[in-house]
Amino acid sequence: MTAGAPSIAVPGPAPAIVTRPRRSRPGLRLVGRYLLLSVLALVVIFPIYITVVNSLLPAPQIAARPPKFFPSSPIWSTYDKAWSNGHFGHYLFNSAVVTTIIVVGQLLTAILAGYAFAFLKFPFKRTLFVIFLATLMIPFEVTIVQNLTTVVDLGLYDTYAGLALPFLATGFGAFLLRQAFLGIPRDLEDAAALDGYGHWRFLWRVAVPLARPAIGALGVFAFLTAWNQYLWPLLVTKDDRLRTVQIGLRQLRSASIEQVNVTFAGVVIAVIPLAILLIVFQKQLIRGLTAGAIKG
Amino acid sequence: MTAPPTTDAPVTPGPRRRRLPDWGLGYLFLLPALVIFGVFIFFPFAKNFELALYRSPPFPGLPRTYVGFRQITDVLGSGDFRHSLWTTVLFGLLTVPTGIALGLVLAVLANQRLRGVAIYRTIFASTVATSVAVASVIFGTLMNPQVGLLPWVGINPSPAILDNPSWALPAVAIATVWQNLGLSFILMSAGLQAVPGDVLEAAEIDGAGPVTRFWRVTVPLLSPTIFFAVVVGSIFAFQTFGQIDLLTRGGPQNKTNVLTYFIVTQLREHQNPGTAAVLSIALFLITLLLTLAQLRLLERRVHYAR
Amino acid sequence: MPRPSVRTLAAVAGTALALAALPAAPALAAVPRAASVPPCPLSALSKAKGTVNITLWHQFPRANEQAIQALTNQFNASQSKIHVSLVNQTTYQDLFNKYVAGLSTGDLPDVVQIEDEGLQQMIDTRSVLPVQSCVNADHYGELGDFVERDLRYYTVKGVLWAMPFNVSAPVFYYNTKAFTKAGLDPSSPPKTLDQVKADAEKLKSSGAVTQAGFGLKNDPWYLQQWLAKTNFTFVNNGNGRNGRATKTTLQNATGLQAFQWMSDMVSGGLAVPNDYLNPSSAVNNLIGIGNGNLAMTIDTSAALGTISQLLASGAYPNVGLGVSPIPSPPGSGGFRVGGAGLYLSTKSSPEKQAAAWQFLKFLDSPASQAQFAAATGYIPNRKSSVTLSAIQDLWARIPGYKVAYDELTSGADNLASAGPVFGDYIGVREAITAAEGKMFNGEKPAAALAEAQSKASATLAAYNARVR
Repeated sequence: MTAGAPSIAVPGPAPAIVTRPRRSRPGLRLVGRYLLLSVLALVVIFPIYITVVNSLLPAPQIAARPPKFFPSSPIWSTYDKAWSNGHFGHYLFNSAVVTTIIVVGQLLTAILAGYAFAFLKFPFKRTLFVIFLATLMIPFEVTIVQNLTTVVDLGLYDTYAGLALPFLATGFGAFLLRQAFLGIPRDLEDAAALDGYGHWRFLWRVAVPLARPAIGALGVFAFLTAWNQYLWPLLVTKDDRLRTVQIGLRQLRSASIEQVNVTFAGVVIAVIPLAILLIVFQKQLIRGLTAGAIKG
Repeated sequence: MTAPPTTDAPVTPGPRRRRLPDWGLGYLFLLPALVIFGVFIFFPFAKNFELALYRSPPFPGLPRTYVGFRQITDVLGSGDFRHSLWTTVLFGLLTVPTGIALGLVLAVLANQRLRGVAIYRTIFASTVATSVAVASVIFGTLMNPQVGLLPWVGINPSPAILDNPSWALPAVAIATVWQNLGLSFILMSAGLQAVPGDVLEAAEIDGAGPVTRFWRVTVPLLSPTIFFAVVVGSIFAFQTFGQIDLLTRGGPQNKTNVLTYFIVTQLREHQNPGTAAVLSIALFLITLLLTLAQLRLLERRVHYAR
Repeated sequence: MPRPSVRTLAAVAGTALALAALPAAPALAAVPRAASVPPCPLSALSKAKGTVNITLWHQFPRANEQAIQALTNQFNASQSKIHVSLVNQTTYQDLFNKYVAGLSTGDLPDVVQIEDEGLQQMIDTRSVLPVQSCVNADHYGELGDFVERDLRYYTVKGVLWAMPFNVSAPVFYYNTKAFTKAGLDPSSPPKTLDQVKADAEKLKSSGAVTQAGFGLKNDPWYLQQWLAKTNFTFVNNGNGRNGRATKTTLQNATGLQAFQWMSDMVSGGLAVPNDYLNPSSAVNNLIGIGNGNLAMTIDTSAALGTISQLLASGAYPNVGLGVSPIPSPPGSGGFRVGGAGLYLSTKSSPEKQAAAWQFLKFLDSPASQAQFAAATGYIPNRKSSVTLSAIQDLWARIPGYKVAYDELTSGADNLASAGPVFGDYIGVREAITAAEGKMFNGEKPAAALAEAQSKASATLAAYNARVR
């Protein structure tokens, strides 16, 4: 693990890694592995699958016995209805804006704080770390009314800034990245110091690339929590102009049976952006796998 | 927000790069987060210490009555609080270990070098794309006595699953574990990728079977991630609200009335900030104690690379 | 629909009926006893320069939202002085919480839709400009044409606090084809709780239903109806109308009979209980009827529109829709209204208050009420609305709609049928529902009733202690 600075700074393809495919195992074992994975995958995905099916069935058929596991004549118009009734056109846009601000903010504050806790020595570090953790122990719902007053006082009522500001930092992010940074071998830091790296350069050139899977996970988590907010956007917006996806979803809720399929369609619409993000992010995770396994 | 450090001395390497000492840089790095926390978490939370001493009116602008510590002892001494705390602990025990264990098992399984394993990874991570609200709609439907698939396959107690005092909490726990599974899987996978492949390979060459490798090599090397998941998972379990609100509303007969749901209904349904303040402080202190205990007891066993 | 002629007709009919009905409602037209009612600044509107913009917060789901939006568009187009914007706040609960938060931050609407039982809490916010002020200031003479019980609900000590807008009542839904199959006469549905039980037994033993005869949603609203029908109040102090309610009044013959009946139905396998607080099971009983699992239930009249549409689609060939008055212990009393009222705000500027009052008058005009009721299934709250073709056509097409209207216009108008006024209505609902749930898991009816009474009363006391 005494790689030179350049190879640290560019954690690229790093070809020489991990196990070779094992050709010696019998085929039966391979089938077993696929079978196990497939059964587990089926269990995990089934609730989502049945939701998509429900969104395409005529409402009475959702309650049919025996249940329909496949829409024989799918009704795509449920998506039209959900789209317009849930105001998804501009609600999705608002959610995208607010979520982007929150994700970027959370990543930056978490990287800085996580690095400080992992690599820097300063008085009261343990106390400050506990303070960061303490923020996790106060549910946002408890502080929401006072925060509304604060945002109004700051003149940020009914603005994107007001929607995003309280969520630009989390104790969760700092904790997660502290753990990731602590996983970086000390030799790398020593080698970087020898090469004249300061903390700032080490942070961005070495620590951040190495912690990419954790940063990716944090990004996804931040995206999720921001995307799925409901109470705060409802309170801090004046009218439809700046409202977000989850409010649209709630507006689709309906006590009427005939609209149940539309509710399911709304659920699918609200999930699709996250699903796309996930698939894109998945590649990043896999690339992170090779990047994480640097060898000397 | 992060602009100041870029212009600061430590950025530039060279003879003068240590102008800002480590401790200064540390505080500077923590500052942005601390400002947000101060304004939007600690400041509003501090108000609870005042609210706890007053019997508060249901609506702003009405007079309040100073009752001192009476409200605190009343609320914390009530059977409702004890019951709610016990329900919360039970819910944590049902969801946290299960969620972590399942995420870890799936991560290890999906970490094999198999053709097409990426598809399984995507599926295992997929529930991360759902939210509490979405998971609640899905499981509320699956468990519904008239339209649900679970009653159809014979899981049909009376009263219905989510109306049933003995079934409701485990049912909500299942929905929760499913919804968190994606995140748990991603976290464990991310941790697993930091485990050097040569270590596992060396263990295999030494003749260790898959189970031995899992317990003796994978789990210890993953311990920072597992530790993180236990601590954060417990904290989040103590803040469960959405799925309770959407699936059971604390019922039947309070069997799913976990602490955070209890607090939020005090605020939103009964407009009682005083009681909610007492409960919030209690929740905070209980979680803090739990976390400190976990930090003390567990972190000693965590294996860090540095 | 030829709107102008309908309007003219409505105005004529409305005035005629108003005159005819005026002596019937003297208490409502009387000057409020409470001297502290804030004034209604009617003249501010004409003094205002330009258009006065006002906002209304509501919680209607989509189909109903379109109906109120259509009315609003008509109002905005009919004149240029006032422009109304609607904001959907998703649910009654979230709407009320946003309103309470607005009392701190100042973000408040000029008109707000609050569900019926929010009345006491709205009064306690001290932010309501009682509609009565504007009725008096405007010499509004049409109250006599309103369904009296709608007004009585929102009137406390002679002050009308809100305009009733979307009004509903619980009705009895049953499957006529299942009745025929069980050898019951579909044209004579059960009128009493005992008859429901007898019919449920026949439905089950004949195999006309696969699960149970009756789907039982334990909504305390129904308990309130049974109490009112037998002239019992739900809370003390004249149902909270002579003074602040301090206790529920559940432990009487009707309360015990209702609990005993629910318990017998469930333990005998004749009813499937359905926790009404559980948000994911709101329409279970109706779906159960559609699937042949159940054949009878009690639910809001507002569900009728959806049900008839579904049946018309041909999706449920084995269901024939029967709608009749809610079965009840017999009595001379009347049923109480449900739904929501519209409140004005003292926090609005004078010209907005005056403009909002003009809009309320429009929304509750006979023509508007007929149009809204025909589009949504709510009960028109103007007596002259039902003479209009929109309602006459609707009743001819789906007679079930008339059932709910008849419920609210028959029986005695007294403190019991006016409906209860009390604070922390959600807490009271929870207390009663929880006690009923315990009963469905084996507790004795008398003990469950006693628990409902004590827990609900404790909730009232806790709320009252905080508003002193």
